[in-house]
Amino acid sequence: MELQQSMSIADKLKILTDAAKYDVACTSSGTQRTNDGTGIGSCAQAGICHSFSADGRCISLLKILFTNECIYDCKYCINRRSNDVPRASFTPDEICTLTMEFYRRNYIEGLFLSSGVLKSPDHTMELIYAALYKLRTTYRFQGYIHVKAIPGTSQELLERLGFLADRMSVNLELPTAEGLRLLAPHKTRERILAPMRLVQNRMEENRQEIQLYRNAQRFVPAGQSTQMIIGATPETDFQIIHVAEALYKKFGLKRVFYSAFVPVNEDTSLPARTGEGPPLLREHRLYQADFLLRYYQFQAGELLTEKDPNFSVFLDPKCNWALRHLEVFPVEVNTAGYELLLRVPGIGYRSAARIVKARRYGKLDFGDLKKMGVVLKRALYFLTCGGKMMYPVKLEEDYIARNLLNVKERLPEGADGMTYRQLSLFDDARFGSMSEKGGTI
Amino acid sequence: MKTIYICTDSVTGIFSAVYEAWKERRREGASGIAIRGSVEPQLFCEYREIPENESRAEAVVRMILTNLGRDVYHHIYYAALSRDDEKGEAILGTLLAARKLGQPRNIMEHLGNPAVEKVFELSRSVGNEAHLLTGFVRFRELENGILFADITPKNQVLPCLGAHFQERFPLENWMIRDKNRSMFVVHEAGKRWVLVQEEDPEGRMDEQLLHLSGQEEKMQALWREFCDTIAIKERLNPKCQRTHLPLRYRPDMTEFAG
Repeated sequence: MELQQSMSIADKLKILTDAAKYDVACTSSGTQRTNDGTGIGSCAQAGICHSFSADGRCISLLKILFTNECIYDCKYCINRRSNDVPRASFTPDEICTLTMEFYRRNYIEGLFLSSGVLKSPDHTMELIYAALYKLRTTYRFQGYIHVKAIPGTSQELLERLGFLADRMSVNLELPTAEGLRLLAPHKTRERILAPMRLVQNRMEENRQEIQLYRNAQRFVPAGQSTQMIIGATPETDFQIIHVAEALYKKFGLKRVFYSAFVPVNEDTSLPARTGEGPPLLREHRLYQADFLLRYYQFQAGELLTEKDPNFSVFLDPKCNWALRHLEVFPVEVNTAGYELLLRVPGIGYRSAARIVKARRYGKLDFGDLKKMGVVLKRALYFLTCGGKMMYPVKLEEDYIARNLLNVKERLPEGADGMTYRQLSLFDDARFGSMSEKGGTI
Repeated sequence: MKTIYICTDSVTGIFSAVYEAWKERRREGASGIAIRGSVEPQLFCEYREIPENESRAEAVVRMILTNLGRDVYHHIYYAALSRDDEKGEAILGTLLAARKLGQPRNIMEHLGNPAVEKVFELSRSVGNEAHLLTGFVRFRELENGILFADITPKNQVLPCLGAHFQERFPLENWMIRDKNRSMFVVHEAGKRWVLVQEEDPEGRMDEQLLHLSGQEEKMQALWREFCDTIAIKERLNPKCQRTHLPLRYRPDMTEFAG
């Protein structure tokens, strides 16, 4: 206790930022709010990035923990009870000062407050509530607030909190209940899903209240999100993407975030350190698949099967799907439906919408497509314009796969080692692992 | 013979020139607009200097708003803020093209027209830079409580930022300086923002800026500490950082300066 009293706000900020950095989802999107003239702050629908850290992730919110003291002992977490790390807790006033002073200088778009569990979930959430209440009422702060809900918090407290925050999220932590049992012995799947369901129901009620009374208070207007750790437990991509799909469909989540596992603890239940770094390519493929679910009308079952449960290392999930369904292609740009255009590699949801709009005025050719933002080097194998393909190409899986591999894909740094590898006579090991994982060649 | 109207590099200036060109009702291609200081003389051209005229510029704005609508006006206004020298020509071309349409409000969809495409491109690049700067602007608190920020943008984005920060900080006194153009947007608590052009050859301004408030250095240190700590070192990726936050913005940002 003495240690804590002597601690300056700078020390606390360092400890509690360091402890919060593994949380993903620093987004500030989903709410549009103008200032009412009595305080400070506003929100932009698309969100605003204020800076970018050295790992290339956006800094939009002041992402901190309320406290890194914790009664739980989750094996993947730096703040687990049995770890000997410096501990600190903010007071509600300190949180308000930091948020207000940073916000005034335009450093941040708002606050992202997460926390370890101090004494009990209710006790911790009560302190967080006190901080947010003060921020919203005393300081009239109208910027963005994202708050983590701790599983096990009472229903009544979560409801009160939801009226102060823009977004609430409950961490799923690990994709399956089994993984959770193994690595987070104090958490259960049911206890995590319960607050998610509560927020979902309350948001639904709130939508009706707003229709009746225009000035009704908004409950979690930017919706809820969640995150899970990838690569700490032996789940396949197939399982993970199915879980994500279920969350979108059954819980109405705005986003599911994936976080490549970074080993911070030594524990027999965790995967051994390999020296390869976090599984960034896998995380990247999962995000690509996640976008296919949310924007491209794909179903999880179409992307992967139980027999072939992981994404290809070499090709992105959309190209992979297209190669396995060559019977659908080529697609005629001037007549194909929006849903079908969405499935063509190289056509995004924006360019698909532009195509549908522009072809009302006249026939499109490949030059027009290029102007609309279609990536032709990828799309040319799957498209016809006025019945003609761009070049004479064979609709053969091997041929197209070979050519698509020559088109360099933009991958996050650290995840791109194997794609550009020079072929050599003695180097077929990689191809072995590819047919296992991707099964395309 | 082609007539080229030469105007000052400001929204009012360009709209004043549009007024003149519009009034003479010449056919397309027979008139053009150039920005003073960037005129490349051509043969068989008549040049005419157009002074800024508030009321004429307002008439053009009214004309655009009633006939073409708010969205088109937004594109044209943003294009007029661009640093591109051919913006006047593109704006005039777009307006003349709209005159021939049955539904002139859809003019921005006619991207086949080179002038419309140019306006669209300029408006998008100004909009992008303004959006990035709504995040990247860094205020510092001066001794007298005023929040001050420096920016060095390519385009003239101050008006866009003024509107954004007035919404965000209505009860603060703040000020943003465009170092490339010696222009300021100034906001007094509770009032509307104003745009001011002021040269400061003796650097008196810079001297005043050295007097920071008591808390300022501490807050800057806290913010630098935060930005350093939040990065996960196992995932370091400076290339990705550079694509999202180009180097040219960094000299004005607290976390990268010093």
